[in-house]
Amino acid sequence: MSVAQFLTIFISAVFIYNVILSRFLGLCSFVAISKETKPALAMSLAVMFVTTMSSIITWFIYRFLLIPFGLTYLRTISFILVIATFVQFVEMVIRKFSPPLYRFFGIYLPLITVNCAVLGVAVLNIDMFFINGRAIAGSFYYSVFQGVCVGLGYTLAMLLMSGIRERLDLCNIPKSVKDFPLAFIIASIMSLSFLGFNGFKF
Amino acid sequence: MKDKFIVSASPHLHKDESVSKIMWMVVISLIPAGLAGVFIFGLNAFWLIVLGIVSALFTEAVLQILTKRKITALDGSVFITGLLLAYNLPAHVPFWLPIVGSVFSVAIGKQVFGGLGQNIFNPALVGRVFLMASWPKYMTAFTKPFDAVTSATPLALLKEGKLIENISYLDLFLGKRGGCIGEVCILALLIGAAFLFIRGYISWHIPITYVFTAGLLTYMFGAKGLLQGDWLFHILSGGLILGAFFMATDYVTSPLTRKGQIIFGIGCGIITAVIRLWGGYPEGASYAILMMNAATPIIDRYTKSRVYGIK
Amino acid sequence: MKKLFHEFLKGVIKENPTFVLILGLCPTLAVSVSVMNGIGMGIAATFVLLGSNIIISLLKNFIPDRIRIPCFIVVIATFVTIAELTMKAYSPALNRALGIYVPLIVVNCIVLGRAEAYAQKAKVINSLFDGLGMGVGFTLALILISAIREFLGTGKLMGYTPIRGFEPAFVFALPSGALLVIGLLLGFFNILKNRKI
Repeated sequence: MSVAQFLTIFISAVFIYNVILSRFLGLCSFVAISKETKPALAMSLAVMFVTTMSSIITWFIYRFLLIPFGLTYLRTISFILVIATFVQFVEMVIRKFSPPLYRFFGIYLPLITVNCAVLGVAVLNIDMFFINGRAIAGSFYYSVFQGVCVGLGYTLAMLLMSGIRERLDLCNIPKSVKDFPLAFIIASIMSLSFLGFNGFKF
Repeated sequence: MKDKFIVSASPHLHKDESVSKIMWMVVISLIPAGLAGVFIFGLNAFWLIVLGIVSALFTEAVLQILTKRKITALDGSVFITGLLLAYNLPAHVPFWLPIVGSVFSVAIGKQVFGGLGQNIFNPALVGRVFLMASWPKYMTAFTKPFDAVTSATPLALLKEGKLIENISYLDLFLGKRGGCIGEVCILALLIGAAFLFIRGYISWHIPITYVFTAGLLTYMFGAKGLLQGDWLFHILSGGLILGAFFMATDYVTSPLTRKGQIIFGIGCGIITAVIRLWGGYPEGASYAILMMNAATPIIDRYTKSRVYGIK
Repeated sequence: MKKLFHEFLKGVIKENPTFVLILGLCPTLAVSVSVMNGIGMGIAATFVLLGSNIIISLLKNFIPDRIRIPCFIVVIATFVTIAELTMKAYSPALNRALGIYVPLIVVNCIVLGRAEAYAQKAKVINSLFDGLGMGVGFTLALILISAIREFLGTGKLMGYTPIRGFEPAFVFALPSGALLVIGLLLGFFNILKNRKI
């Protein structure tokens, strides 16, 4: 475990391999919800919470359940079930403790289940921090941190995009590129500019 | 006379400024740098500049005809885009490069957003970064000044840890070094910038904070020990001066308020320095400015001046 | 019979999942770097679509409404796991190329979307053709995007070099290029759509 490794995870997850702009995970929610800043931020925070928690839970399941019993091929099914259950749980908790918040999230909360970013980071953690069925040193901390950073990367992309789209709302955009096509072109340019962080080394 | 009523209280100040005039003034301020580039790198550079400008004009006109909008190709803004794109190229790239770059700059960097005033990103930089990602081997093939021999830029040498021989600060200042056409001659750039300052077309907030922040960070972290970085070298190298004074200051793509502009400048400075010091590329100015362009709407949102009477 | 054919065609053109419904973009953009990868992903996704549509349609009267989403996910995940293991066994190179996007078919909006919007309400035979149509539409979209990206980005098409002396623009092999291609294609199809009206 080293500070440099954590820094690398941070720079990779947030900038170079940004979950949305580079790995394309969470694109559906990205283009759908990034039209306004408030919902975008709310969704981002929720996603960050879920990616972090699911990174923790799926790590434990993989390490202490799937590997010892030789069930690693059940990774996909078990992970997605865990995530779906967890999101359902979060939904119930929010509904109980803060109905206004629950209403604010609306349909976006259950949609986090199918947000590619969540399952994606869980699978990514396994691919990156387990070699030949054994956890590398510090694997748990790296996984959790990556979960957080992926959430941060998602938030950054959402925040920038929502600001841009809110501003473009006041403009006279050519009809054929309005909304979705332009959103992708903007994402393309943002992705281009993030290339600047390639090859980062501490 | 009916439609010339002015609906605001006096006094009214009359200025003969229009968007178009400002654009052409910026073009004029960029001419010294172009002349210097051609002088240093040869006639090839001149043709690249011409191609860049002509392609940009042509693309804008064609797109505006196709989308049935008013043709504003001669208002100077697209002239600047083509010019700046060419300034960001090495002097001996193939002729199709500025053409493709300009077309992309104008079409994707500007027209797709609806034209002038609505683009989020600096069009010339969009084109430049596109070219860089597409044909890196052409975009990094620099030549020696007054020669067509390949050489590396001072920043590239620095990135590889090689010793930089025979380049003095004066060389950097005058442009006797490898680099892009419009970025090398700091003297010419500063002359143009001074012109813009005097006429009041740009303010100090963005360029000075940008350069200062980048200089400060490279001073603090630029060498093995702390506080030993060669900040003057960093300020005079690469596309920092060109970027800080002519691209980061673009009205459309930078924040509206003074406070926002300072944040913008600091952000650009930080990102440029971070890429230069620890990133894989030797120069980070283009990427820094584009990233801050993306952040500008958010910056504007949170630094808007309070309107009296509204919460 | 004609009606079933219409079901199929709907998924290919009128309600093409990628260009019209704008679903399932995550894998589309990620794997469309080469046509072979695009076809591979398309086939895998079609298999999962077919399987899940059929099973869900068969079980539609037995799945309680409250927990239908998790149930759908279990069905889909089963087929994805089958596809994943088959790919690992018979085509490991493709599996490596597609990477994490194979397990991600589970959360592919197309599959879940069709289950939710169609298969749970329709007859089995209709669901079958719907799944087939959507899968084919998805695969064709993948082929189109991959062909553009592969040619512009590497100068080759399925390994062949059609035009000599063409300097490929590497950006198209990058994520940025993918986003650009889909943005421009969507805009292009919009123009076509507006013309028709």
